[in-house]
Amino acid sequence: MMRKVLQKIYLGLIFFLLYAPIVTLIVLSFNNSKTRAKWGGFTLKWYSELFQNEQIMSALYTTLIIALLSAGIATVIGTAASIAIQGMKNRWRTLYMGLTNIPMMNAEIVMGISLMLLFIAIHVTLGFGTILIAHITFNIPYVILSVSPKLRQTSKHTYEAAMDLGASPLQAFFKVVFPDIMPGVLSGFMLAFTMSLDDFVITHFTKGPGIDTLSTKIYTEVRKGIKPEMYALSTILFTTVLVLLILVNYSPDSQEEGGKKARKAKKRPSKVRMMVVRRVIPAVIGLVVVAGGVYYAALSQTMNDEKVIVYNWGEYIDPEVLTIFEEETGIDVIYEEFETNEIMYPKVSSGAIAYDLVCPSDYMIQRMIENDLLAEIDFDNVPNAKYIGEGYMEQSRQFDPENKYSIPYCWGTVGILYNKTMVDEPVDSWSILWDEKYKDNILMQDSVRDAFAVALRYLGYSLNSTDLDELTAAEELLIEQKPLVQAYVIDQVRDKMIGNEAALGVIYSGEAIYTQWENPDLEYVIPKEGSNIWIDSWVIPKNAEHKENAEKFLNFLCRPDIALMNFEYITYSTPNVAAQEMIEDETIRNSEVAFPDLSKLPELETFRYLGPEADAVYNELWNKVKSD
Amino acid sequence: MSNKLIDFVNITKSYGTQTVLDDLNLYIRENEFLTLLGPSGCGKTTTLRILGGFENPDSGHVIFEGKDITNLPPNKRQLNTVFQKYALFTHMTIAENIAFGLKIKNKSKQYIHDKIKYALKLVNLDGFENRMPESLSGGQQQRIAIARAIVNEPKVLLLDEPLGALDLKMRQDMQYELIRLKNELGITFIYVTHDQEEALTMSDTIVVMNQGYIQQIGTPEKIYNEPENAFVADFIGESNILPGLMLEDRLVKILGIPFPCVDEGFGRNKPVDVVIRPEDIDLLKPGEGSIDGVVTHLIFKGVHYEMEVMANNYEWLVHSTDMFPVGTEVSIHVDPFDIQIMNKPESEDEEAVNIEE
Amino acid sequence: MKNKRYLAGPYLFWSVSFVVIPLLVIVYYAFTSDEGGFTLVNLAEITTPENLKALGISLLLSFVSTVVCLLLAYPLAMILSSKNMNQSSFIVLIFILPMWMNFLLRTMAWQTLLEKTGVINSVLNFLHLPSLEIINTPYAIVLGMVYNFLPFMVLPIYNVLIKIDKDVVNAARDLGANPVQTFLKITLPLSVPGVISGITMVFVPALTTFVISDLLGGGKILLIGNVIEQSFKQNSNWHVGSGLSLVLMVFIIASMALVAKYDKGEEGSML
Repeated sequence: MMRKVLQKIYLGLIFFLLYAPIVTLIVLSFNNSKTRAKWGGFTLKWYSELFQNEQIMSALYTTLIIALLSAGIATVIGTAASIAIQGMKNRWRTLYMGLTNIPMMNAEIVMGISLMLLFIAIHVTLGFGTILIAHITFNIPYVILSVSPKLRQTSKHTYEAAMDLGASPLQAFFKVVFPDIMPGVLSGFMLAFTMSLDDFVITHFTKGPGIDTLSTKIYTEVRKGIKPEMYALSTILFTTVLVLLILVNYSPDSQEEGGKKARKAKKRPSKVRMMVVRRVIPAVIGLVVVAGGVYYAALSQTMNDEKVIVYNWGEYIDPEVLTIFEEETGIDVIYEEFETNEIMYPKVSSGAIAYDLVCPSDYMIQRMIENDLLAEIDFDNVPNAKYIGEGYMEQSRQFDPENKYSIPYCWGTVGILYNKTMVDEPVDSWSILWDEKYKDNILMQDSVRDAFAVALRYLGYSLNSTDLDELTAAEELLIEQKPLVQAYVIDQVRDKMIGNEAALGVIYSGEAIYTQWENPDLEYVIPKEGSNIWIDSWVIPKNAEHKENAEKFLNFLCRPDIALMNFEYITYSTPNVAAQEMIEDETIRNSEVAFPDLSKLPELETFRYLGPEADAVYNELWNKVKSD
Repeated sequence: MSNKLIDFVNITKSYGTQTVLDDLNLYIRENEFLTLLGPSGCGKTTTLRILGGFENPDSGHVIFEGKDITNLPPNKRQLNTVFQKYALFTHMTIAENIAFGLKIKNKSKQYIHDKIKYALKLVNLDGFENRMPESLSGGQQQRIAIARAIVNEPKVLLLDEPLGALDLKMRQDMQYELIRLKNELGITFIYVTHDQEEALTMSDTIVVMNQGYIQQIGTPEKIYNEPENAFVADFIGESNILPGLMLEDRLVKILGIPFPCVDEGFGRNKPVDVVIRPEDIDLLKPGEGSIDGVVTHLIFKGVHYEMEVMANNYEWLVHSTDMFPVGTEVSIHVDPFDIQIMNKPESEDEEAVNIEE
Repeated sequence: MKNKRYLAGPYLFWSVSFVVIPLLVIVYYAFTSDEGGFTLVNLAEITTPENLKALGISLLLSFVSTVVCLLLAYPLAMILSSKNMNQSSFIVLIFILPMWMNFLLRTMAWQTLLEKTGVINSVLNFLHLPSLEIINTPYAIVLGMVYNFLPFMVLPIYNVLIKIDKDVVNAARDLGANPVQTFLKITLPLSVPGVISGITMVFVPALTTFVISDLLGGGKILLIGNVIEQSFKQNSNWHVGSGLSLVLMVFIIASMALVAKYDKGEEGSML
């Protein structure tokens, strides 16, 4: 009895371990707050917003299509191979099984990298096709490993008996052997489908820009903060599968009675089960494919000749703005997103896609101007540019000396966000990030330049320093700081500070505004030693094919009401003075954080592009810090 | 045969809603070769497993040498089991398999070595020490399983259909082997089988079981010649089972014709079942026997002919060394002491006992 | 079934094209420099203190996770196999089902659970128990690894255990072994093949992960997987990345060989 109880407790614990995160995610999907750090009440809104989120829906569709195709193809190839292997002599069989074990045993990361290198070596563009090939490759072994045991159980005499009774080899196979190994084939397919669905690492390496599966989409969102719609989607997926599996496994027939009856019922799949396997699952799959096809078709049909191709940071515009523009002008906006300047740059410079409007950061604009990638903006077509504050245009001259190529879109500073309830003394210096008192309560930025900027400014150096002594000093300072740091993160500073996880965090001013909305105990300060100021500006690449439309769109974005909409959506400071004056909330309109008087601030520098060699030095030193 | 060694007292066991053993009472004497015989699902294996300690009865007690061992774990019982599918340890050599129980008991190396030699010799498998179980044939594996059990010198050896997986010839050889072993070891064997021939060949005592009830206990001869009910009669050997009416002591009416018999004490005009073994029927010339009939089937069986005789609307099964071609008119004669009278089942429980197949 | 060999054709083609050749490409990159000449510099990168440390931590954490997984999974598999559920698919279901919640989200969710002000600590605080501070430490990474890879340990062991004839265990008990002896001498040795395939299926992904350390380590702990990922995705130094991958592969093969030495049995029994 005691033993039974212990067993139950143990099972319970394991079950908790397995399902606690899942329950958490499901709960979060009903959370009426954008941040996972706070419970904002119950809501179903993410479920309705999910279906309007084109990016998530298209990632979902890509994921399902890839899972379906890769599992299907792998099942065909794998089943055929299993049959062949079954009939082989020992030596050959060992060889094939060895071949099968390579992808099973090999590290995912190595497999992903090896495929990526192969595709690049033979000049195959990374994209849908390469992801599909990669998924088929790692799926085949799962199919073989689930079909082979079934084949071993199948007596070869049944096949011979069928032939003896007049069946052709093909008929004999499909009528006799195949039904026997069907469960193996099916579980192989399901396993492959699940593996493909859940894969991140291999997709991460074999995907190209512009295409995302749910996994890779989530990975980029981890940095930006996961959208609650994603939780909603996962909850829907999970419950759907749960219900389907319960239907398959617990059909009423097999639950009836113990003993012989149950045994018989088990051998002969019940009607419900057959129904699910034969009809419901294919129907669901079919529905997904058709719906996706219609969706894509609808998407491509709306494309007319009047269009503008925009390439922007993720989460950097209010989607409503795009709709309004399309309605007002009849110009279609084709909208793509990038995660970092470094990912954006090669895509623009290679000219693979002729973007009409791009939104890089200061130092990257400098690099693009230096490499002659940008077209001059015709300011006559952008009369609304007058709403951009003069101070910002002046700041822009650091990277665009004549204000010819760029119009500021968002800007901000980097500073310290601190929790008033956890920090007693006034915060005015970077030095507090080295204060033992706040051990394990400090959040640092997990990117090379931002982290070094903090250390360099604290030491009184320029954050564009290329002096090796200065950099080494900064590196040592960062290593010294490491034991005090709770975590190196990027946009998660936001969620963690809202949730009172840490006392101090290095953060962008734009995020600071949002965090203060959510948690009034937080305060933002730019340390006296000086910091980074950054400006993201719109530029038009030289190879743009719709320059006039781009300028129309740019003019539209500079319209004060539109700029205001964007500000309220992304909360990053707008350089649009007119928009600033329209803000209703007085505290925000006059906020020192959102709209500081630049002249009163400590010395602020923009990042400059330092060249590949300096980049390498920075990376190497940063690696030393991280691995210390 | 001496005193009671094992005593099952009021054992009941059920799985879910299915009762496997219902208030079973049975004792086993020392040095006996006892066979539990019955069709599958009759409860014979469960009885054995309860004795082995692998199952616990829902109620009742198992007494071994006067002590209640009902709740004793298997490793504390002085008996060993030979399992149906041998249950050899596939990751050990033959010697290691046989040594298993002795090592557990911390016997000396020399002792274990000698025991292995002795046991292998006993089962005629000298020199197999270092082989792996999977390289042996079914019969050889079975003998290893026996060797593994007997080196522990158990007071009782339990055998759960040990010959079930062997072919006919091997099965017959092993039967003699087991009898020889039993005699050499001088211990109690409890043997479970559904094969009546095995049971008749080897046992001192046979316990016929069906649906959780004991149907009859007795020597092979008694079970065969004097089955107590229709189930036993049908299950053991072939027989003609007919409804009859006991007119008075030593006179039974079968198919409307009075037959003299030797049974007494059934009362007057009492309905009974009558068993007549096919080899006990003599075929005479028409008119010379009790009932006349016609031969309808004839098959040569080697030692005898098997015939069916249609007489008084009943197909009589007859074994005879004499041959009567199909269509021959014959007369059936049965000696009085070859007619076995049985009570008809009275209660519902007994009804359930009736022949299923 | 004769002349079925050609059915393996597509598979052979696929395997060679997308498994074997890509590995050769890695080897090529590992032994060449940017200019295209032969070099051993890329392989030597592993000896820099940072990379050695990353490799060391990776080996340590994956070893610990594997051991923890084994210790958790074995009793679990034993309990499950003794449950005599005639639906073994139900058990598979329990462990496969979580995979339909995305791997990254599942792991992310542990942040919400483990954080200083997270769910678990709120509960502990409420009960006036000391709080659990493991987020952003190696412990959290081990937890993440155990959580993600536990099913790969449970399933093969479970599959081996249910195949062990109950009578073999009974036979040992019958021959005088107590439950502990029976476990040590019979059940455990017979389940070795499952344990082996479980170990490989946990150790390799744990050794090479970069996502779990990313999500639960707070960016403070660099595993060898992170180093390799960065050399491809951030520093664009493919040659060094390939060199390190090759070294990693050698480590995997070596550990597999080590494990296989103890495995006389059949091929992996995950399914």
